[in-house]
Amino acid sequence: MHIEDGILSAEACAGWYAATAAFVIPGIYEIKHRIRENLSYKPFLAMTGVAVFVISAMHLPVPVTGSCSHPCGTALAAIIVGPFATAVISTIVLFFQAVFFGHGGITTIGANTFSMGICGGLSGWLFWKALRSVSCPVWLAAGVAGFVGDLVTYLTAAFELALSLHGQVPLMKQWMIFFMGYAPTQLPLAIGEAIFTAAVLLAMVNRRPDLLPQVLVRKPASQVLVGKEA
Amino acid sequence: MSTRANPLGSGSQSPRFFDGFTKIMLTTMIVLELAIFASASYMSRHKLTGAGTDDIVNNLATATKVNGEHHPFVQLPGDSELSAFSVANFFAGLIVGYNWVKLFGSKPQPDGKKED
Repeated sequence: MHIEDGILSAEACAGWYAATAAFVIPGIYEIKHRIRENLSYKPFLAMTGVAVFVISAMHLPVPVTGSCSHPCGTALAAIIVGPFATAVISTIVLFFQAVFFGHGGITTIGANTFSMGICGGLSGWLFWKALRSVSCPVWLAAGVAGFVGDLVTYLTAAFELALSLHGQVPLMKQWMIFFMGYAPTQLPLAIGEAIFTAAVLLAMVNRRPDLLPQVLVRKPASQVLVGKEA
Repeated sequence: MSTRANPLGSGSQSPRFFDGFTKIMLTTMIVLELAIFASASYMSRHKLTGAGTDDIVNNLATATKVNGEHHPFVQLPGDSELSAFSVANFFAGLIVGYNWVKLFGSKPQPDGKKED
């Protein structure tokens, strides 16, 4: 999903920057707010940001397709630090990846953040919330969140490309053409990301459920820590 | 002012080299490395390039586009890319590990003590 410089038009780049800013600005306020109410939030944010940086740069070979791709880690990040804060850390991560590694581009940070940090993180977080609201176990909800977040990231990246480049070809057709460039390799990695997300969240819940009150509490009135039931 | 070679003191138990955490992490690392090695070997034997899907789709997008060339913001030559990744991942590992230990390194006990 690291779209490079020179592919999207200037108008498209500006549009994706604006769309990303609509999530990053509330994300900055979310971070400031949560730092004040939770002393553990800062180390969470640092750890999560660095983890997203490493995970989204880790190209893994998939022998079935003969190509490599990377997981994203943004669904896990959104569950732990919140979806808007994930948009902020993804922007920073993608900036450093573009500047130091040649992953992605500077003009496309908006588009890349929108696919990985916003759509990937938000979709995973929504699935997590929905499944937890129906008493789904932590490991299953986290696994589904990781799987969905990964695939939605690539669906969005393919859509961004198709929207700019479809020309006379129907948008849906061009979208699926680009997505099929990602999908065969991404599907096994999405399963891997599901397992990883579930394992990390379970480890966190088992070690210190008290540090994850906003993650685990289903009903604020009941103050139930669901991690102990999982 | 003096420094001590063993800050834990002579009477304390020295840390074990192969504790449970190290064993699990090493095992996980070896399993993942073997999986990567096996996948790469399979691809090499079947003459598969192992190219990144990002690059494949970026090339496809450029071919779709009327004009222009895609390019990363910076292209590191030779082994310098490996160096950049190694440095970044080393320090990333330190930061993740430091914060993980700070947050999850010990379980609070009911009496207020911490369990290692």
